[in-house]
Amino acid sequence: MSEKPVVLSLDKATIQFGGLIAVNSVTFDLYKGDLFGLIGPNGAGKTTCFNLITGVYKPTSGSIKFNGKEVGGLAPAKIAEMGICRTFQNIRLFPALSVLENVVVGAYLRHKTSVYGAYTYLPPAINETESLKKDAMDLLEVMDLADMAGSRSADLPYGKQRRLEIARAMATKPDLILLDEPAAGMNPQEKEDLQATVRRIRDEFGKTVLLIEHDMRFVMGLCERIVVLDHGEEIAQGSPEAIRSDPKVIEAYLGEAV
Amino acid sequence: MLHDTLNLVAGLDFSILPQQLVNGLLLGSVYALIALGYTMVYGVLRLINFAHGEVFMLGSYAALFTSWSLGFSPEALAGQDKPSSWINLVLMLVVSMVVCGLIGMAIEFLAYRPMRNQPRIASLITAIGVSLFIQYAGGLFLPQSPPPAISEQVNPYRNEKVTVTLAPPPQDLVVQAKDARAKADQMDKAYEAAKAKGDPTSLESMRQETQAAKNAASNLETQVASKSTGLTVPYGQLGMLLTTLVLMALLWFIVQKTKTGRAMRAVAHDFDSAALMGVNVGRIITITFVIGSALAGAGAMMYATVLRTPLTPFLGVTPGVKAFVAAVLGGIGNIPGAVLGGILMGIVETLVVWLDGVVPGLSGYKDAVAFVVLIAVLLFRPGGLLGSSKVEKV
Amino acid sequence: MKFWGVRGVSILAGLGFAFGLETMVSAGLPNIYRLVVLAGLFITLAVSLNLINGITGQFSIGHAAFYMVGAYSAGFVSNQFYAQQSLGPQLWLVVMMVFGAFMAGISGFVVGLPSLRLRGDYLAIVTLGFGEILRIVVQNIAPLGGAYGMNVKPFGSPPKAIWIVWTLAMVCIAVCRNLLRTAHGLPFLAVREDEVASSAMGVNVPKTKVTSFVIGSAFAGAAGALFALYDTFISPDTFKMDVSFIILTMVVLGGTGSITGSVLAAVALFAIPEWLRTLQDPVTKVAIQIPGPSLVATMLAVIVAVALVKLIQDRFYGDKGKKLGLYVGAVGAGVAVQFLLAALLKGVPQLAKLSFEAAALRMVIFSATLIILMLLRPQGILAHHEFSWAWVSKLFGRRPSEANA
Ligand SMILES: Nc1ncnc2c1ncn2[C@@H]1O[C@H](COP(=O)(O)OP(=O)(O)OP(=O)(O)O)[C@@H](O)[C@H]1O
Ligand SMILES: [Mg+2]
Repeated sequence: MSEKPVVLSLDKATIQFGGLIAVNSVTFDLYKGDLFGLIGPNGAGKTTCFNLITGVYKPTSGSIKFNGKEVGGLAPAKIAEMGICRTFQNIRLFPALSVLENVVVGAYLRHKTSVYGAYTYLPPAINETESLKKDAMDLLEVMDLADMAGSRSADLPYGKQRRLEIARAMATKPDLILLDEPAAGMNPQEKEDLQATVRRIRDEFGKTVLLIEHDMRFVMGLCERIVVLDHGEEIAQGSPEAIRSDPKVIEAYLGEAV
Repeated sequence: MLHDTLNLVAGLDFSILPQQLVNGLLLGSVYALIALGYTMVYGVLRLINFAHGEVFMLGSYAALFTSWSLGFSPEALAGQDKPSSWINLVLMLVVSMVVCGLIGMAIEFLAYRPMRNQPRIASLITAIGVSLFIQYAGGLFLPQSPPPAISEQVNPYRNEKVTVTLAPPPQDLVVQAKDARAKADQMDKAYEAAKAKGDPTSLESMRQETQAAKNAASNLETQVASKSTGLTVPYGQLGMLLTTLVLMALLWFIVQKTKTGRAMRAVAHDFDSAALMGVNVGRIITITFVIGSALAGAGAMMYATVLRTPLTPFLGVTPGVKAFVAAVLGGIGNIPGAVLGGILMGIVETLVVWLDGVVPGLSGYKDAVAFVVLIAVLLFRPGGLLGSSKVEKV
Repeated sequence: MKFWGVRGVSILAGLGFAFGLETMVSAGLPNIYRLVVLAGLFITLAVSLNLINGITGQFSIGHAAFYMVGAYSAGFVSNQFYAQQSLGPQLWLVVMMVFGAFMAGISGFVVGLPSLRLRGDYLAIVTLGFGEILRIVVQNIAPLGGAYGMNVKPFGSPPKAIWIVWTLAMVCIAVCRNLLRTAHGLPFLAVREDEVASSAMGVNVPKTKVTSFVIGSAFAGAAGALFALYDTFISPDTFKMDVSFIILTMVVLGGTGSITGSVLAAVALFAIPEWLRTLQDPVTKVAIQIPGPSLVATMLAVIVAVALVKLIQDRFYGDKGKKLGLYVGAVGAGVAVQFLLAALLKGVPQLAKLSFEAAALRMVIFSATLIILMLLRPQGILAHHEFSWAWVSKLFGRRPSEANA
């Protein structure tokens, strides 16, 4: 494990909202190619962790390094450019845009031609648009959404909207992809498909994946390592088996039944 | 002494500052009354009711017509004095408030209610349309050239006022003035006596000397007056402030203590949840419009009667915009914020005119200052003074 | 090669249209020359505001300010320097258009900055405020003519302007349209849809917002410069809040985000009041008088008819033919109400003695149209649709493939 390079490294990352310490001195490392789970009860600070990593909030203290460079407090767009992209717990697509356009917005980050070519509609901009669209179409194939490329994204059923968010994030060509409760609201079949897709994202596309999920079967069956948060604090870290039998985790989150 | 130094340093007349502040407060209370309507409607509907300034305009015309029908029209008065009573003022206030309340209700029912589920920008354009419609349709039917004003005579207390002295004039000046007046009086007496006696030789020169002494005395007296810091508030303006306070207290009571008020706050907090919890949202919106418009009506009546502004169908535009700015300044949707913003706006405006003493030409920027203050405040507090800028949770 | 061929032809066609219009109007219809100029300017204003408001979603309602900046910069500079050079009126127009765009672009940059911190209604009031501040500042500057306004007469007589005004409008449309046709337009739309998600996808949100403000205001400034030089007189009153509101209305009425809609609404909203202004009896050539009772009756009848139409629109779910019948019925009811009320109101002496010139009703009709259109079609005339030939063929009931065949 140790020969794989560290992709993301949180060191005592902390954020405070007024009197509430939403994330308290959280420390963990992600290695290249990890399939890493972040779990914990409601309000534990999982989403806030994502927000710290992606620059939505600036950490009050501690450091967050991505590929060795500090990202804590950088602008979200800058962090996306460096290679971290995410999905949102409460879906945030661009509702009036088509499915394809949503993905092209993600792909646009890696565009090369200048905007002046676009104002004048010159061949470089046209060709680039075509190739971005083509890449986006390929991603839609992967996510099994190609047949809906032309519909308004707001018109998609819930499960497909979640998949579209993943496609959009993938389009930014990230090294690390953060998925915030990707399976929420899906039926068992959809969950199974999603599991396969996430695995494919890691194995085939070589991405490092960090995901938040409340469905324990989903997490345990998918992730190789897991961090557990409770009240902003990290209470356990390890393999699914170790987490399952950790008394602190059972008390704070899993309950006796599992 | 202090006055002189300050005046020299800043080129400002501090003796009129308290008076200016009171004037600002008065103007500000009108702005606050209008701003309340903007803020309440925004609170429940998230709609900038651009037609609110026009409701205000119609309110001032309602007051005008009431005064006419009470016998204070130019034709009825025909240049003669006519006694009035406070009842007339109350009648005008009530009519103005009722008319505005009804107009507000009608606007809501005809123009905004059908737009309830439409994009907000569409409602906004409708509001602009209603505003323009009232202005120009008013232009067809309302008397406007020359702009009519409510007769002074409606106000029975127009000559009464309260005078407050804040800082007395320098003592030596007062003594000097007193002496001069006494001397003039003495000379006057001597002159009258001489006139009665019919002593023609020195009469003309005596008359001239007396006149000179009188002039000197009144000169000194004017100086005393200008060196003393104080303020004069006519009863009408005092009544205006009191009425505003009473109305605001009433509004506070309605919003905080009644069931309707609670429903209003619920709708403002979360429209959909309130509806789901069984609040009759339609009724609450109507009530909000009625109350907000009635307050504008009260402001309009006082604006037209006490400040005696000439009326035109476009009268509502400027106070309307300023009151709207005041509402945003205080934090739109926030009721105390509207009052604070309105009063601040009025005071800032009069202060700018006062500062004209140091920066000549500044008063030309009077109308711009409202916006400068607003932009400055919003850049530091994006939600206004008392409003909370909601941080969107991601 | 084919690309450049097509591009060349379309540029030539555009220029041909502009100069054709110029020649046609100045030769055949000189009395509508000014209208054609102003229509072109308003198209530019509406389309450029649509970029800020409709496409990027930044709620700006002070567009007249940029129009004013362009007008005053070009006006002032022309008065000062035109005599000292030898470009000739037509070239000078081009130079001033660019200069006005530049100055307005700078002011657009400044006004765009608050958009980084403020959203929605707060941004709206700040843009409105900037407009008012600028206007009042101009009112207080003596060299710009203060409140009385400024004559801009470098050429002696008004220059030929249709060609350049309409070229500007076409360039403005083309730039917006091109932007939306390439991937470069997507960040603008994404910012409108969701700022948080956009920035997470790597969209530089501040840059995108400010860019849209700069481009939008530059086009407005270009229009302003041409207005000043063509109309030869500008005053702060020409650029009041009302003008901003009218431009905003054009954008919304056309369908927020739709360029075609902005163009159509600009022409329509501009034409209605102008047409009413010229309304007169065809035979006697005196302005048409409308008696008070009929006016009031018409107003009430319109309210009745609109209310009925709205009710049918919202509550009636049935086949189209029946619905159409009901609409006709509603309009009929309105007409009946009009006749009935007009007859009744003739009995009211105060009203019967009034009568109004049609031209005086201009703004009343204008604002009523606005309200009615918003009530009956809140998404705008075209909603978010754009003009395209495929769409036209569909409109006429043919599928595009058949149309091409
Ligand atoms: N911007 C903010 N301001 C104040 N408090 C916040 C903010 N964002 C999050 N919080 C608080 O931080 C805590 C952690 O929230 P977070 O959304 O990270 O929880 P979570 O672990 O993702 O929970 P869930 O499983 O319900 O999604 C909560 O108490 C939340 O209210
Ligand atoms: Mg969460």
